[in-house]
Amino acid sequence: MSILKKFKAFPFHLVSVPGIVMIVATPGFATVYLTIEQAQQVIFPGQNLTPIEGTLKQKIWRTEDGGFFILDKVIGKHELITYALGINPDGSIRQIEIMDYREAYGYEIRQKRWRRQFVGKTATASLNLNEDIVNISGATLSCRHVTEGVKGIMNLYERMLKK
Amino acid sequence: MNACLRNEIRRCRPLLGTFVEVAVKHDESDQAHTAINAAFVAVERVHNLMSFHDPQSEISRLNSLATHRKISVSFETYHVLKCAKELYERTQGIFDITVASELVDNDLLPKHTFFKKEKDYYGRTNDIELLPENFVRFLRPLKIDLGGIAKGFAVDQAIDALQVNGIADGFVNAGGDIRSFGEEEYPICVRHPKTPEKLLPLVSLKNSAFATSANSYQHRLGRIGCVHIDGRTRKFLPRPFSVSVRAQSCLMADALTKVVFALGEESASLLTEFDACAFIVWPDNKIMYFEGSGWNEK
Repeated sequence: MSILKKFKAFPFHLVSVPGIVMIVATPGFATVYLTIEQAQQVIFPGQNLTPIEGTLKQKIWRTEDGGFFILDKVIGKHELITYALGINPDGSIRQIEIMDYREAYGYEIRQKRWRRQFVGKTATASLNLNEDIVNISGATLSCRHVTEGVKGIMNLYERMLKK
Repeated sequence: MNACLRNEIRRCRPLLGTFVEVAVKHDESDQAHTAINAAFVAVERVHNLMSFHDPQSEISRLNSLATHRKISVSFETYHVLKCAKELYERTQGIFDITVASELVDNDLLPKHTFFKKEKDYYGRTNDIELLPENFVRFLRPLKIDLGGIAKGFAVDQAIDALQVNGIADGFVNAGGDIRSFGEEEYPICVRHPKTPEKLLPLVSLKNSAFATSANSYQHRLGRIGCVHIDGRTRKFLPRPFSVSVRAQSCLMADALTKVVFALGEESASLLTEFDACAFIVWPDNKIMYFEGSGWNEK
């Protein structure tokens, strides 16, 4: 049988009332994935972490066996991302977890212009995108800023943390 | 909207050059985290096997060595190539993974040192020969990029990993390629094709897959960054609209967005053949949707 022929029909739901296009202006939405404690447990389960005092913009914890848990923020063109990086005692990257993702586009100006554009056409959505989790499909967003942030931390590790 | 999303763990990692989100409903958080870890491992594996950018990936190995010589690949890469070949046939060449050649020429993919400058990479997807025991050979010089389906496939693999680990309700979103399973309904928004910060709620996803393709936004430059090529004409497709497709597997949804992107509303018969639904979102907010019988304005 063709490998592409196994797909069956499925029900089809539209979110909005037919005939009305709902468009939601998003004054920056946010998704929180993990708290600091949760991220520590996910990356270093069962381990005790000790914070290291310092003046760096990153927050750093050390594990009992010489690994590191580092908290960092990166700012993209439109997004602010907090992420955690786990480094193994041997200096290799253990895990990267995004802790929160916030998107903002200078909305105060744009929102007005945006709304004006749809006067009479937009049915204001009942969704509250600030509070609810938003599942977004669209042209792929790059994670380049996070990748660059991780590179920066690994440099920092080589210079300051590695024994 | 919020009610269906309580009691869930949602995590996110940078993979496949984008952000990959995995969410599960759970009764026991340790099991949930184990399953999510397994899903990320599955995505990471696809990333390592099928990245065009990584000179160590299997795809790079094929691109550098497979012309006139058979190369052994993983089950996964073999499977995705098989799907790509079938899609190439059934779309009369619109979906063609050998457009990598044009993408490299236009600096949209890296020029690896193993590519010969003077060489003409004129082969097409039907020049990829799939031999028994997961061996692959190119009959003509060609470059392949699985960017059009690997992300969807990675999502399918992640979903499998969640199910194998005993999860009953789960959701994976790899940079807009989405799939869910279980009883939960997940409301999905798409980005407006011209104003990406605006979100349009489009569907509620239950037990199916959804993917969107659009040209990238380059507001600063005031133009659309074009990344889509019609496999038949080898021409870029500077479409102003975005395309979303809903299908049973994310690989199919991902691949079909490229076909609808090329054909627009003329994709109806192919969508019917693949049992898929599609949306075309225009910058003026007109939304056309196709569901079985024909195109309608939403």
